[in-house]
Order: sequence, then C-alpha cells, then structure tokens
Amino acid sequence: MVRGFKSFHPIVLLVYYIFLIAGLMLYQHPVFLFVAGCFVTLINLLLDGGKQIKKWGLMIFIMCIFSIILTPLFNQRGNQILFYVFNNQVMLEGIIQGVMIAFTLFGIIAIFITFNMVITPEKFLFLFSKWFPQWALLIMLSMRFVPLLRRRLKEIQEVQQLKGVSVKNGNIKQRAKNGMLIIQILLTWSLEESIQTGDSMTARGYGFGKRSKYQPFYMRKRDLVALGYIVCTGLTVLFGWWLGDGVLTLLPILEPVWLQGREWFYLAVWLLFIGFPIWTEGKERLKWRYFRRTT
Amino acid sequence: MAHNKGLLIGISIFLLVILVSFPLLNNQHYMLLSFIIMLASFLPFMIRFSRRKILTRELVVLAILAAIAAVSRVPFSSLPSVQPTTFVIIVAAVTLGPQSGFVIGTLAAMVSNLFLGQGPWTPWQMYAWGMIGLMAGLLGKTWLMQSKLGRCIYGFVVGFLFGWIMNFWFIVGVMQEINWQAILLYYSGSFYFDLAHALSNVFFLFLFSKSWMNIIQRFKVKYGLFPTSDTEAQYSFKKFL
Repeated sequence: MVRGFKSFHPIVLLVYYIFLIAGLMLYQHPVFLFVAGCFVTLINLLLDGGKQIKKWGLMIFIMCIFSIILTPLFNQRGNQILFYVFNNQVMLEGIIQGVMIAFTLFGIIAIFITFNMVITPEKFLFLFSKWFPQWALLIMLSMRFVPLLRRRLKEIQEVQQLKGVSVKNGNIKQRAKNGMLIIQILLTWSLEESIQTGDSMTARGYGFGKRSKYQPFYMRKRDLVALGYIVCTGLTVLFGWWLGDGVLTLLPILEPVWLQGREWFYLAVWLLFIGFPIWTEGKERLKWRYFRRTT
Repeated sequence: MAHNKGLLIGISIFLLVILVSFPLLNNQHYMLLSFIIMLASFLPFMIRFSRRKILTRELVVLAILAAIAAVSRVPFSSLPSVQPTTFVIIVAAVTLGPQSGFVIGTLAAMVSNLFLGQGPWTPWQMYAWGMIGLMAGLLGKTWLMQSKLGRCIYGFVVGFLFGWIMNFWFIVGVMQEINWQAILLYYSGSFYFDLAHALSNVFFLFLFSKSWMNIIQRFKVKYGLFPTSDTEAQYSFKKFL
C-alpha cells in the first residue's frame, strides 16, 4: 500500500506540480526562492533520502555557478556599481539576478526529480488516457516495445559481431555505419512482427467499446480535500504575484531585498502551498516513529 | 491538396515565429507565454490524431517506429552526440506522411523521456521532433525529400534547429533577462553539439535514407497501410472546415 504524498489521485498531484512550477517561475524574489529551494530539498529528502538529487548534484552545482558568474557580466542595467571586471561594470542588480536564476534553476530541477518519483509512468499514462486515449495506447505500446527491441538489438549485435559488423572497433565512420546496419536489421524484423501484434490485438477485440483501466484511480474524499487545499493556496500565490508582492523590483530602483508588510503574508501562503507534501509525508514518518516507540 | 499542405505549412511556421518572437517582445513573462503558445500550436495536431480512427495495424506500426527511433540511441552510446533518432523520424515521415511523422516524432520524445526521466525539456523535445516529422512529411513529395541531396540539406538544417529549440527553453525559462550577448554566448556554447547532430543526420541520410525508405515503402504497400493518406487528410480537413 502506497501512503503519504504519492498516494493521492494523479490529478491532485498534477495540479500541485503545475502551480508549483508556475510559482517558481513567477516569484522572482531571492527570499521566496531561497525558502522554496529549502522546502523542495526537504521534499526530496523525505521521498527517497536524497539519493536522486545527489546524482544530479554536480550538474546543478555547475549550472548555478555558471549563471551566478555570467549573469552580472551580461546584465548591465542597474544603478549600483560594485566593481569592474575587464572594464565591464558589475552591478549589484546583476548579481541579485544571477542568484535568483541559480535558485530558480535549482528549484526546477529538484522539483522534476520529485516529479519522476511521484508521477510514475502508470500515473502519467492515467492522466494521458483521460484526455488522449489513443495517445495513451500508443505510448503504452511503444513503452512495451522498448525492452523487447533492446533484447532483439542485443541478439542482432551478437550475431553480427561474428560477421565482423560491430560498433566497437574501426574508425568513427565505420562504427556509425555498422550501428545503422544493425538498426536496419532491427527495423525489418520488427515491422514484420508488429503486423502480427496488430492482428492479435484485433483478434482480442481491440476497438470494440470503451477500454477498462489496468490500474484504477478513484477520487476519494481526502483527494478532494487535498485538491481544494492546493487550488486555494495556489490561487492565492498567483494572486500575490499579480499584486507584485513576490517579485523583487530591480529597475528603475532596487527594492530592499528584505520582506516588508504584505509580503510576509504571501511568503506564509507560499510556504503553506509548497509544504503540502512535507505535511503528508512527514505525518507518516512521525506516525511510524511513534508506533515503533510504543510497541 | 496543395492548398491543404500550404495552409498547414503556413500555420506551423506562423506559430513557430510567434513562439520565438513573442517572448522577446513581451518583456516580462516569456516562459509562460511561450509555453502556452507552444502548447497551442501543438495540441491541435495531437487532438486531430486522437480523433482519427486508424487501423490497429497502423497503430502498432507507428508505435514500433517510435520505439525504434527511441531505442536507436542504444548501439551508439559509445559515440558521443551521434544518435539516429532524427534520421528515423525523417525517413518514416517521408514515406508515411505528415501526420504519421508528427506522431512518431512526438511519441519518440515522450517514450525516451519516460525511460530517461521527464524534465522541463520534455514538451520542447516533443515539439521539436514532432515538427521535424510533420515538416518532413509535408515536404515528402517535393524535390527536397525525394532527392538525396535535398534530404541531406533538410537533415543538416533540422539538426541545428533541434538544438536551437532545445536551447530556447533554457533561455526563456531560466535566463530571465534576455539580451543578444547572452543568447549568442549560450548558442555558441552548444554549437559543437548541434554541429555533431547535424553532421550525423547528413551522414545517416546520405548512406541509409534510400534503403530505409524502400523498406518502409515496401512494407506499406505489402500490407496496404496508410492508404492514400493525402486524399484522406484532405477529406478530413474539408470536413473539419
């Protein structure tokens, strides 16, 4: 039994991700982005102990450094000159912009790492089949063919290697040519086989009436409550952006970075919104600890 | 027939132009706007295909061609940035028509990402490969796609375009401040990867496009798949209007 955040209805999860990504793109404010980055890291830790994010760590790090260093060099619109690099003025505004880009980048990649853990291929297909049934079937068929074709490819490679056709030796031109020959064999073989698959599907009655689902997802009461929560907080977040609260004004005059007045309220809503998986996952963790201690 | 094709080409080019220029014109929320425009240019084709009744055999053939396009990366994993996915999409689109080309391109992007992991690049990749297939299919009967030289030119151009569309999401999504220096720097950074993609497309198209087209064509005739796709498309388009 799947529990916690992953157990919600796919539509609830999809709506959460749409709002979250939109929020990250729109809230261009260092404080908002920093806090969001912390929360997303925490979600990653709760979901799989940070294993996936570590794999991406180096790439994220390089991209962030890249944007922090390069943005100020190219973005020279601003009022507060800090210092000069090769006769180029470096602005405070440019550096703040670079930091915000780095945070956004980190946030988006980290969110997609959790997206791949939470929206598993079968949930993805469920979402697809709701609106595009024919596409969902195509994706499902194609996905099923991928492992099969890889097995066939291995078989072909082994046979062809005996004839001296291999991608492993020779110059680059020869290797590319051999690789393509192998794929061409795969093409002729698989096209013939696919007709058989198609006929067998017809024989089993594909195309008669509505298809049932392999794994059904039902909207339960808790899904509706969660959906309501996400939509309310998400819309408030968007409203806050519309009022201009979660956005740091860089031009014409740099706004103070520290939050003031109404912005605190929207920061709180933003946190309540992002924190949804932390609440649902963390609750399970706490329960687990509690039960282990009592028994 | 020509009218229909011209209209389709016109629409897709027009939308691509909007896709590129609108975010630059509009000074604030390029990411969302470009994303919405991309979806708007892309969804009609998806919806049109999902409305269409096609044979089970054809469905399976489309699925297997997309799977081949996605899997064809595997034997080339030892050669950096050489992958024949674009080649497979172009060749299949030329023989099976624009709609099939679009479906195979989109599906190949989707499937390979389901195995490699989704990211913000997924819709852009679907868009890029889908449009490459669509254009190749629309140009299918013309000189450009019927001669080897024309195919090579198309493959070269498309190799760069693919890289540029993929850079585009990064630029609009992440670099909020758009100026030409930054864009040029970023695009020159990816130049060698794009060049490798373009050259490998030319290489594959030069050596293998004829034999692949023959194989698919023979197969299409043998089993009577996608019959008179042009007239049918025209018919459905008229009905649609």
